[in-house]
Amino acid sequence: MIRQLYQRLLGPVTLVLLALTIWLGVWVTPPDKVQGNLVRLLYVHPAIAWVALYVSFGTATIASALYLWRRTRSWVADRVAHCAMEVSVVFIILTLITGSIWGRPTWGVWWAWDARLTSTAILGVLALGYLALRRANDDPTLRAKRSAVFAILAAINVPIIHFSVQWWKTLHQGATVFTSNRTLLVHGSMAWTLLISFVGFTLLFFWLLRARYRLEVARERVERATLDAALSQRQREGAL
Amino acid sequence: MPNAEPLDLTPVAPPKSPSRSRWRSMGVLAVLVIAVVALLSQGILHSLNYFETVDQALAHRAKIGTEVIRLEGVVKPGSIERTSKGASFVLSGTEDRQVFVDAHGSPPQLFQADIPVVVVGHFTSATSLDFDGSQIMVKHTATYIAAHPGRVKAPNGTSR
Amino acid sequence: MIRVAWLVARKDLRIEARSRVLLWQVVPFGAMALLLSGLALGPAHAGDSSAGPGLFYLVVLFVALLMINRSQVIESTPGTRASVATLGLDPAGVFLGKALALAIELWVTGLVLLAGTVLVLHTALHGAILALPSVLVTLAGLACAGTLYGALTAGGEGASTLLPVLCLPAFAPLLIAGERSFSAALGHGGLWEWWVIVLVALVAYGGVGILLYGVLEES
Repeated sequence: MIRQLYQRLLGPVTLVLLALTIWLGVWVTPPDKVQGNLVRLLYVHPAIAWVALYVSFGTATIASALYLWRRTRSWVADRVAHCAMEVSVVFIILTLITGSIWGRPTWGVWWAWDARLTSTAILGVLALGYLALRRANDDPTLRAKRSAVFAILAAINVPIIHFSVQWWKTLHQGATVFTSNRTLLVHGSMAWTLLISFVGFTLLFFWLLRARYRLEVARERVERATLDAALSQRQREGAL
Repeated sequence: MPNAEPLDLTPVAPPKSPSRSRWRSMGVLAVLVIAVVALLSQGILHSLNYFETVDQALAHRAKIGTEVIRLEGVVKPGSIERTSKGASFVLSGTEDRQVFVDAHGSPPQLFQADIPVVVVGHFTSATSLDFDGSQIMVKHTATYIAAHPGRVKAPNGTSR
Repeated sequence: MIRVAWLVARKDLRIEARSRVLLWQVVPFGAMALLLSGLALGPAHAGDSSAGPGLFYLVVLFVALLMINRSQVIESTPGTRASVATLGLDPAGVFLGKALALAIELWVTGLVLLAGTVLVLHTALHGAILALPSVLVTLAGLACAGTLYGALTAGGEGASTLLPVLCLPAFAPLLIAGERSFSAALGHGGLWEWWVIVLVALVAYGGVGILLYGVLEES
């Protein structure tokens, strides 16, 4: 029953939170002392980046690790890894786009080859590589295994991205939320709106993941049915 | 052969993987962790920094020469002058270390006094402290503060 | 593991010695690519030795992708994988053997290309000699990474076109560190720090290969 409730409420709650984020971000929260109204991208870009790097890529990595470990190996884990990685590609691309839109008026450039941006772009290439690798193998077991290994190798990039602003001097700002001394560097209503945006976009990821997973299950069912029909046809032809 | 004993074809369980391979895996993991920690702890990766601060640039002035670099510093209040080519200003480091910058091209929207900027360019000569900039980028901080605190009222009615 | 590595490396090198693909195809391709890159610089920059390290590693990248693909094609010949599985060879040993053979082949090609950068791109000879150890270590790192990623794509559809997509992000730190250490040897920057990065990358890819190659070979 809880599962049904979750499935029914996930979509509406996500939409409400995202609508609330937009309303608060555009009309209620004040402009920033330095950035003025450019700060309103604060309620979009960091949340999307959080989902891209940690939630979606993290889900794909954990599911891949679960698949590789014999005790937890299952097709569910493989499907979750694949679907999460597809959603991750979308969020990584959105991270780079929203970042560029924010960077142009604030930094003065659309793009800079600093450690944070470069490593994020590399993560995008790795995620696309994962999807390309999945299409290269027809054998489901081989495909699942190789993709899982590749996802785990690719995940090495995530802590590099996270710590890049601490390890190196970058044009990209340092952490606002996950600072090393756990101080939140955003104040008042901006902080609350930021939190709501994080929750909203995280739920959006799970909503998209669930939809993609159901699509994948349906696709496999159709594929099996097609194969069964083709085999039956061949058997009938053989019997004649 | 008529009296040969029947072959025993019962499947045999595979041998257990030797514990030696488990020790090897742990050893390899330990070496990996040590190597990465050693790399990071030595601060060796500073060469991947996007820019040199004013302090660093002045400390390595002789080595930099007239090489193109990215120079980072805070724009000194009162030093900005708009020129026909762009703008000139002073970049401050720590303890009164300063570099005069003559930059070409329009500065970005957020360019102002007391803000960190990164300037791409080169020193005008091997010993000069004047910097010829071709591009200005603003490096905004990670702190976000409301511009007009009085407009946002706290739930108890006081202004913040 | 070492015995198996040596066995596999000798097998791969023997195949290479008989087929001579490296000698007649890969090395000429590398030399031609180096020559063309020198031409592409144009008269204004053709004598600029600072471009040497970057162009050297760009050509090394192309050559490495060809050789990694070739290394995996050898494993894909009918019966090879089944033989390896039946013999119960240690996968870590197989990985190290293939990486070692690939590294030796890359070293041979790398030496030819290094000579090419001195002749064609006017890189200083003493700088190239000073850069030789870092070049060898970088190529060994590329061999380890390439063997691992080659196993990921082996036998699949479009393996030869998929390999560059998967390898490039993995090669990036090695290529950057290799190029910077080569430049440092020519007098532009600190040599020691890039050496450390290259060594750590070599250890990292070697270690990960030893741990994960067996998983990839199970099928």
